[in-house]
Amino acid sequence: MIVANYLASAVLFCLGLFTLLTRRNMIKMVMGLSLMEGSTYLLFVSMAYHRASTAPVLESPPHGRTPTQLAHGNAADPVLQNFCLTAIVIGVAVTGVFLAVVVRIAQHYRTLDSDEVREMRG
Amino acid sequence: MTKEKHPIVTDREPRHRLWLGLVLTLGTAVALGAAYLAAPRENAPLPSAATYALVTALPDWKLLEPVNEVVYGSRGFDTFGETFLLLAAVVSIVVLTRPREPRRGYFGEHTAGEREQHEVDPGEPVDEEERTTRAADTREQGKISSGPEDPDGAPLGTHGPERAESLTVVTRTAIRVAAPILAVTGCYLVAWGYSPGGGFPGGAVLLGVLLLAYAGFGRRRIARVARPGVLETAEMAGALLIIGTELLGLVLVGSVSGNWLPLTEPGTIRSGGIVQLFSVGELIEVGTGLSIAVLEVLSISRDWVPDEEGRESDEDDGQSAGEGGGGR
Repeated sequence: MIVANYLASAVLFCLGLFTLLTRRNMIKMVMGLSLMEGSTYLLFVSMAYHRASTAPVLESPPHGRTPTQLAHGNAADPVLQNFCLTAIVIGVAVTGVFLAVVVRIAQHYRTLDSDEVREMRG
Repeated sequence: MTKEKHPIVTDREPRHRLWLGLVLTLGTAVALGAAYLAAPRENAPLPSAATYALVTALPDWKLLEPVNEVVYGSRGFDTFGETFLLLAAVVSIVVLTRPREPRRGYFGEHTAGEREQHEVDPGEPVDEEERTTRAADTREQGKISSGPEDPDGAPLGTHGPERAESLTVVTRTAIRVAAPILAVTGCYLVAWGYSPGGGFPGGAVLLGVLLLAYAGFGRRRIARVARPGVLETAEMAGALLIIGTELLGLVLVGSVSGNWLPLTEPGTIRSGGIVQLFSVGELIEVGTGLSIAVLEVLSISRDWVPDEEGRESDEDDGQSAGEGGGGR
């Protein structure tokens, strides 16, 4: 029932979105964004899974299988695993940018409440 | 009856448009639920891109890891772009965490008449209070510490409190054993191509080793190795290696990400051709880039804007600081 993983990913995404929409504390907003980002990792890894599949490694396939069999459908999806890998690294760097911006805003405005950062309003 | 003179101060948790947020979140949940229920399940056939990677990894690239074929081969150009997204993020962090500096007006305006000003108005001499305050401020920024320079120089068995900038001798010893093993393992996995994604997880392992050393020994000990000059130069070298690897493919075989190196047997250090070279470039780029980002955010200076009465900037900035102020 991989669909349970999909739904768990949707719940995580919605929790992050709700945090982002309703909290004004900028640290919590960054946490909400990180939660939304984390939900995509769960989705990618879950979508990469296939019934009775093995890891996409071609050396020493399980007993009774050949590398050719693995290459034709009995392995997990390597493309989605790749998306997940690169997304994690980029996600760390982007969260670092968010946190640096939050620290600078806090130092300048002496608040973490985004409602009080008046110059951001149109 | 008078009101209480000292009301209890509570930390207000700001919330914003709760119902609107709830409605939008529920709408998103419904849309995502519908999309995910219609998404391919575990018994669906592999997409053609995945099958292509699995089929070509061994014969075309001599790679045992199809994930590496995707990262550096068939999706190599995307990885190239993602690498420079990482570089852009690191540069943004470095710029954002710099100490404050004048960014408008003429440079040198404030210092041009400094000497003459000092001759005309020498000002108040520095008193004991100011010296104490400045010393405390400097100490907070980590320039002076009450303990010895080297945490290993602290005598064992003393009753003094543990120093905050380094962990105990037991933990430091454990880190001394674990860190080299982790670093060598990370590099080994990348070099021999057994790591899915190659340089990405390898770089994250190197970052973990650096942070382990940071936690165990404090900033001053790792500052000898993790200097900004060294890390930034290494990061640029990694970026140049990736650019060179990709552009040589265009020049030599007519395609960016095309393989121009000879392939050797699977499981050897040169199997995969440019995949291994690209992977080493990523190892350097990710390891040093994330290290710079994390260390910059950790060491962001105490660069607070002064209170309203002490401010010398323009009126707008004064207003915003006043509205946002209040010692929150």
